[in-house]
Amino acid sequence: MKIKIDPLKCSGCHLCEMVCSLFHLHLINTEKSAIRIKKDDLDTSMNAPVLCRHCKEMKCLDGEETNRNEEKNRFLWDRTQAERCPFKRLSVLGEIAYHCDLCSGDPQCVQVCTPKAISLTR
Amino acid sequence: MATVADYKDHPLLDQKPSSLITLHHPRLSKRDSVIMDAVMVLERKVALINFTDDSIEIKPIPLELRKKFLGGRGINMVLLSDAYTPGLDPFSADNPLIFGAGLLSGTLGFGSRMNITSKSPESGHLGDANVGGDFGAELVKSGLSHLVIKGKSKNPVYLLIHNGKIEIRDAQKLTGLDTVETQKRIRQEQGDERLQVACIGLAGENQVRFAAIRTGLKNSAARTGLGAVMGSKNLKAVAVRGTLDISLSDPIHYQKYYLRQMKKLMGTKWVQALGRYGTPLLFQYANAMGFLSVRNNQWTTVGDQGYALEAEALEPFSTGMLSCFGCPAHCRHRFFMEEGKYQGTRGEGPEYASVGSLGTKLGNLDLQNIIYATELCNRYGLDTISTGSYIAWAVELYQRGIIDQEMTEIPLNWGDGEGILELLHRIAQRKGFGNILAEGPLAGKVFGEVSRDYLLNIKNFPIEMTDERLPKSFALGMATSSRGACHMRSRPSLDVLGLPEQVLKKIYGGPVSNRFSSYDGKGRMVWWHELFNAVCDSLGFCRFLTVFSSPHAPQYKQFSKLIALSTGLFLNPKELKTIGERISTLERMMLVKDGITRKEDTLPKRYFDEPIAEGPAQGEVILRDAFDRMLDEYYRLHGWDENGIPKEKSLERLDLV
Repeated sequence: MKIKIDPLKCSGCHLCEMVCSLFHLHLINTEKSAIRIKKDDLDTSMNAPVLCRHCKEMKCLDGEETNRNEEKNRFLWDRTQAERCPFKRLSVLGEIAYHCDLCSGDPQCVQVCTPKAISLTR
Repeated sequence: MATVADYKDHPLLDQKPSSLITLHHPRLSKRDSVIMDAVMVLERKVALINFTDDSIEIKPIPLELRKKFLGGRGINMVLLSDAYTPGLDPFSADNPLIFGAGLLSGTLGFGSRMNITSKSPESGHLGDANVGGDFGAELVKSGLSHLVIKGKSKNPVYLLIHNGKIEIRDAQKLTGLDTVETQKRIRQEQGDERLQVACIGLAGENQVRFAAIRTGLKNSAARTGLGAVMGSKNLKAVAVRGTLDISLSDPIHYQKYYLRQMKKLMGTKWVQALGRYGTPLLFQYANAMGFLSVRNNQWTTVGDQGYALEAEALEPFSTGMLSCFGCPAHCRHRFFMEEGKYQGTRGEGPEYASVGSLGTKLGNLDLQNIIYATELCNRYGLDTISTGSYIAWAVELYQRGIIDQEMTEIPLNWGDGEGILELLHRIAQRKGFGNILAEGPLAGKVFGEVSRDYLLNIKNFPIEMTDERLPKSFALGMATSSRGACHMRSRPSLDVLGLPEQVLKKIYGGPVSNRFSSYDGKGRMVWWHELFNAVCDSLGFCRFLTVFSSPHAPQYKQFSKLIALSTGLFLNPKELKTIGERISTLERMMLVKDGITRKEDTLPKRYFDEPIAEGPAQGEVILRDAFDRMLDEYYRLHGWDENGIPKEKSLERLDLV
């Protein structure tokens, strides 16, 4: 299961970020979300949702002796892991990185994305 | 008033304070380390900034005040009323400029808006404007919900707020920049692309009396000239960045409840249409029914010519729909003009109010010109509605020979798009005739006594993009709005739908006619929406996501649950309505201080004396007797006397003494 992105449809509402932090941390902080909206709000007004691509080959875990399946299901990662992502898709705040764990199979962000900029694909 | 402690057994509330919530998370210790600076919704503070001595003080907002006024517009009015006197000069150091994010701004709600409030340099009375975008949410993420700015800075400055810490920064390099460039420069200077900036453009710097405060590409706290107040304080911008956690009373049920309500809302036809066409969809109603302002309200429809300005006509320029922070409806167009005279122009909008005000009101049916003119207003930081109204006034005076080219420098003709653009430049730059128009209603001093009847206004504030001779409820709303002629204070848009009268009775709690042109029960309808909108503005909610336009959209009941689940504060629907009454009556008290009573709760002469000449609303006019009956009903429901002055016992009941 992956989350597919269609940036042209993104309205930039930040609801996905809010529910991500709310679901995982029981608080609202758009910075502490595995999905982030990159905005060009003073020029083209284009938005781009950014989150983990769920690559089969997880370059982010290179050199680590972790169980990949366990790691996939974790929301809170380390900065060093995020820095290894070739696509720079994880949001990082301090030493913590926020990784999309697909909310145990029911991604909350997809539920609130009314323009359908993000959707589930198998 | 009940609080969490009184509702120990309430099934919806997690009684544990948020910091004690146990999370079954694989890395609990790490989770603890990411939660550091949590701020409860009710703990957001107010910052008092005074440029006279560059003092900055941050204070808590007492819970009692939150219970009585929530936040946003409600608390803004309390803060303004402390300073409000009839003699207070809007451009003086003592006039406070107040920013207030709604109680639930920055959370999952029905919008995330903010009000900016001051004494208006345009009308000379109560000034207040509501604005969307991301600024309000960013402010609350920094731990603050309100800013009160007083004094005058010697040099141009801007405020930099980061997680509740406030600095006064030099803004000399920003002087003269347009509103978009100003925001970009501050972001560059701070090296932070996520900084949210509210600022003024050249119009605000020049204290054009209808200058706006802007944030993002389009969001404007535009009405009542607050940008001029900001300019008078030598304050170019307020920049804010917040990364604090917002903690909630019952996060799990809160998220579930929000999702259910949001899905219900998105299922309504109204929000679906709004998300596709934006507010321009309202244009065709106004044109087809004959309540549009055309050539300064000399006509009220443009008939089939209106196709050129309808929502569908905008689609070739629209490149997608955008949302304000936390809004599922996405009603804002992003546009790009690929070809034509204004090739290369991009931005957001235009809204229906701008299409009407810079379009039909000026006899202008060139959509590309209207889009460009709107963008020009945005860049200069001008209110599109008032700007259109003052130009329309001047064009009608010119048409009637009351003013001539010797004064206006350029010929003023209906539908002259290029002429409108030229006037916009001159107004913002205060050049020549533009300098006269920049004074707003005060331009009447130059135009002469006979000119005054042609500035259609209420309480010294101009009529907008519509004409209210057909919809009597809309007319009463305009006549009684606390900021002068305004459709956002109490307009009961539901009246357009002609819902069954049983449905109306259920909503409004009394008999209301479902005929658009009837006066019956419309006093009640306007009163009800006025209270409701005051509550919306105080919560930071957007009208469009509430019962404003769809009977199936959220109301007090849903608001009440969201407040409880997010803040732990229990306010039932009746208590919320009382808060709406309290805010409306507090605003009224400020107007009463200015000497405003029943005789100012009226409409332009044209509405009473000139029946609509042609079109679908032909013959419609406001009958004075019937209007008075509506006004009586409206005052009675408010608990105000027949002169519109709040009765002593109403003040006591609302705890306003």
